[in-house]
Amino acid sequence: MTGRLVTSVMPVAAVFLPLAGVVAGLVLGRISGRARAWGLGAICAATAALTIALIPGVLDGSVYEIYLLRLTPVIWIHLRVDAMGALFAATAALLWLLALVYSVGYMADGHRLGRYYAFFMLCLSWTLGVAYAGNLLTFLIFYELFSILTYPLVVHEETPEAMAAGTKYIIYILMGGSLVLLGVVFTFFLAGDQTLTAGGILNATMDRTSLLVIFWCFIVGFGVKAALVPLHGWVPDAHPAAPAPFSAVLSGVMVAAGSFGIMRVVFQVFGTELLAELGVMPVLAGIAAFTVVFAAVLAVGQDNIKRRLAYSTISQMGYVALGVGLLGAEATIGALVHITNHAFMKGTLFLCAGLLIKRAGIHNVSEMAGAAKRMPVTMAAFALATLGMIGTPPLSGFISKWYLGLGILDADQPLYLAVLLGGALLAAIYLLPIVYAAYFKKPPTIAAEDTGEGAEAPASMLVPTVIASALTLVLGLAATVPGFPYSLARMATEAFFR
Amino acid sequence: MAAWPHWLPLVVFAPLLGAVLTPIVSLRSRHVAPWWALAVMSVTSVAALFLVLRVASEGPFSYLPGGWQPPYGIELRFDEFSAVISVICLIGWLAVLYSLRYIEWLREVPKERIPYYYALLLLNLGGMIGFVVTGDLFNLFVFLEILSLSAYALVAFSGEHIAEMAAFKYLLMGAISSLLVLFSVGIIFGITGSLNMADVATRIGQLDSAAPAALALAMLAIGFMVKAALFPVHIWLPDAHAIAPSPISAVLSGLVVKVGIIGLIRVYQIYYTSGVLDLHTLNQVLVWLGAISIVMGAFFAIFQDDIKLMLAYSTISNVGYIVMGLGLSTNFSVIGGSVHVFNHALIKATLFLAAGALIYRTGYRTLTDLRGIGRSMPLTCIAISIGAISIVGIPPTAGFLCKWYIALGAFEADQPFFGFALIFGALFIFIYYIRMVNAFYFQAPVHPEILEVTEAPLSMLAPTLFLASLCLIMGILGRIPLAFIEPAAARLLAPLGG
Repeated sequence: MTGRLVTSVMPVAAVFLPLAGVVAGLVLGRISGRARAWGLGAICAATAALTIALIPGVLDGSVYEIYLLRLTPVIWIHLRVDAMGALFAATAALLWLLALVYSVGYMADGHRLGRYYAFFMLCLSWTLGVAYAGNLLTFLIFYELFSILTYPLVVHEETPEAMAAGTKYIIYILMGGSLVLLGVVFTFFLAGDQTLTAGGILNATMDRTSLLVIFWCFIVGFGVKAALVPLHGWVPDAHPAAPAPFSAVLSGVMVAAGSFGIMRVVFQVFGTELLAELGVMPVLAGIAAFTVVFAAVLAVGQDNIKRRLAYSTISQMGYVALGVGLLGAEATIGALVHITNHAFMKGTLFLCAGLLIKRAGIHNVSEMAGAAKRMPVTMAAFALATLGMIGTPPLSGFISKWYLGLGILDADQPLYLAVLLGGALLAAIYLLPIVYAAYFKKPPTIAAEDTGEGAEAPASMLVPTVIASALTLVLGLAATVPGFPYSLARMATEAFFR
Repeated sequence: MAAWPHWLPLVVFAPLLGAVLTPIVSLRSRHVAPWWALAVMSVTSVAALFLVLRVASEGPFSYLPGGWQPPYGIELRFDEFSAVISVICLIGWLAVLYSLRYIEWLREVPKERIPYYYALLLLNLGGMIGFVVTGDLFNLFVFLEILSLSAYALVAFSGEHIAEMAAFKYLLMGAISSLLVLFSVGIIFGITGSLNMADVATRIGQLDSAAPAALALAMLAIGFMVKAALFPVHIWLPDAHAIAPSPISAVLSGLVVKVGIIGLIRVYQIYYTSGVLDLHTLNQVLVWLGAISIVMGAFFAIFQDDIKLMLAYSTISNVGYIVMGLGLSTNFSVIGGSVHVFNHALIKATLFLAAGALIYRTGYRTLTDLRGIGRSMPLTCIAISIGAISIVGIPPTAGFLCKWYIALGAFEADQPFFGFALIFGALFIFIYYIRMVNAFYFQAPVHPEILEVTEAPLSMLAPTLFLASLCLIMGILGRIPLAFIEPAAARLLAPLGG
């Protein structure tokens, strides 16, 4: 990417501030839960502010970078903020802040809170590292760290289901991580250490078989995390087992990190021209399209709300991969924007699902009848995010699907338009009945007597949920304001397709 | 200071002499023995430090006792591979410190025998140091016997019946391997009339018939493979390492098996230089055996419940890495393998010392019995976790760079399959460490009293934590050992015309 290179410590600060949060959390936690909540909230807010503060400069054409440490005689740990990374980092940090605030209320009577918050902050740090990684080795380091150090959060509840989900998670993720490592090693062997920039590291003069091997190592490796069918097995188990605020970031950011990795590989390791020549992208698009439909169909059959949402995540990440697979400018914008939009929509849904569990004891879709009466605000947020997920204008989900649709038409692949619309229709089928039951079905009388009328959560949990859902609206209405996802995605994409 | 020529003999003879004097100085009180051993190891460590500094600045150097020139007099030779004495001294020093409380605690050991424990430990360390710095073949054998015999005795030291059995098994296999080494040293002397390694290398090249040289090579290789516990001659290792007292397990697993590796390197130095044989076949055998060791070691480890037995099997896997690196015989792989000699020593010592601390405090040694220990001994368990992450090779810990380099070497040697085997072997290894982490942190205790224990005393905790921090530091500052060993690897492979 052409741009002014500016050496800056801001990316380092953003990555390492949450690490300070780990220590602060452990120390303040000894004083009181309140002190920890404020301390971590402040640190998380500062981190989010840092990631957002980098955006105007990036839009101006600056590329912030810094060389941290030489890991081997030839490879540096290198942080570099480009448009794509800035967008992903800001999304992650904001969603993390919301989930953290929500955690304070949600986890208040939980166990082992010191561990929970420590790993929660650790994972934010590594996620930002993934977003800002300037070369493949740096990317790999942060990616592996955050994949593995997520494990304590997945099994946090320590129930047999959580343990089983954790085992499944770690095995899937490590398989994927190993393939990514293999891809990185092979790339390094062929091309040496190079900065990730548009145009790619590899080129057509290299052995075709090697290039194909590298490509599929990366796609399958990241595909595990991005939950491409048939590599999605861990997602439906891990989400219901984890605490709700963590499910929100798991779905919104962590799964998306896989998609983000795929984008880095497609646009910055291979480059669009080389991939067009290799002719592998239609296969990726096909897998992605299948993921969209297949996961959505499975989602319809789930009764557990969080499980249904998990399948929805798989389906939505399929959209992102589809956008990348089409290898067109508009579709790529759609894919990039959808990562952010999906993060807040799915974040809202999971936070609401957590409130339903916590305040009304509702785990399943079949128990939803009349929930809106008892929790009006929660269900309003849920309904808004649902509409966004389906792609109703003017909500954010519509924006991403619009660009994906444009991209599909650009690529002259009308069949995928049917996938796009079919996915949206299926989203309506699996999400709307929840909203419908909450608003229009009569509650079973016994349940209502049990929990009383007003089950609405306290403000500390409600506010982040409402903010996340409001973002769904704001990101839709103000989609083209500079600094919002569209502008960054456009900027990144222009560099990829020259 | 570093230029003083007599550090080299001092580093060998200080521990040997110290060992002999240990029973004498502790005649009056057995409590003198550990402090004496600590003092001896301190002197040795200082000498080792100066030697490493010297080799880093001026390259390999020799010491000729009495000024007799090499083919006639004996020679001590210090090259970059010999720098492994720094790890030997470090771990030896820490093991002595750790033994201070640990050996007193062993009920089966008669108290008056304790000075002999330290004498044997010093003898073992001195033997290893002599082995890696000697320049001629006969002394190589002598030091091999010193360290082997003391190792058998140390395994049996607790005096339990099971320890005697393990030591006997070890002795049987060890004696065969020593015999093979002795025979081949004899053959080499017979055909060349020389014992000095550098001299032998040139003389073997001038022989008419390569057959005896080939026989000697095969016997040396098998002999050292037994010492290194490569599959399928590993069968002595698990029992011996699991049953020995924990500080001894750290020394045996971290250091003594590496003697086999260093021996192999010395053999390679002779045969590569002489150019008398094409070592391709031997290399292929080593690579395959390495790959099988990685997988089989990990496979057996998965089924162990005894924590030390698990660690012992993991050593077999790691020796597999190193041998694979040597066998691939490319620049990258040899560097990776050699650095792993250092790093694995640190990591495995961390793990064994931490495991020893758990056993010391709780009296239990199986994962099932140790469930929940993470709550009562947090620091020790953090050390184990860091060790586990390092040994699996998660970046940026000490284990990662070796994996990276050996995998790169596999590509360089045009045998990518082994890169694949290496990376997925590591995955296998992770599975059993996950079991360990689960047991310590996430599973309910089987024995409630396990929550009551406290951290081990400082003399055991401090060495463990120090080594654990080195596992991280050696990863983050990995370029230093990599750059250090590079010239030695280049020199080793130079005759191949690479």
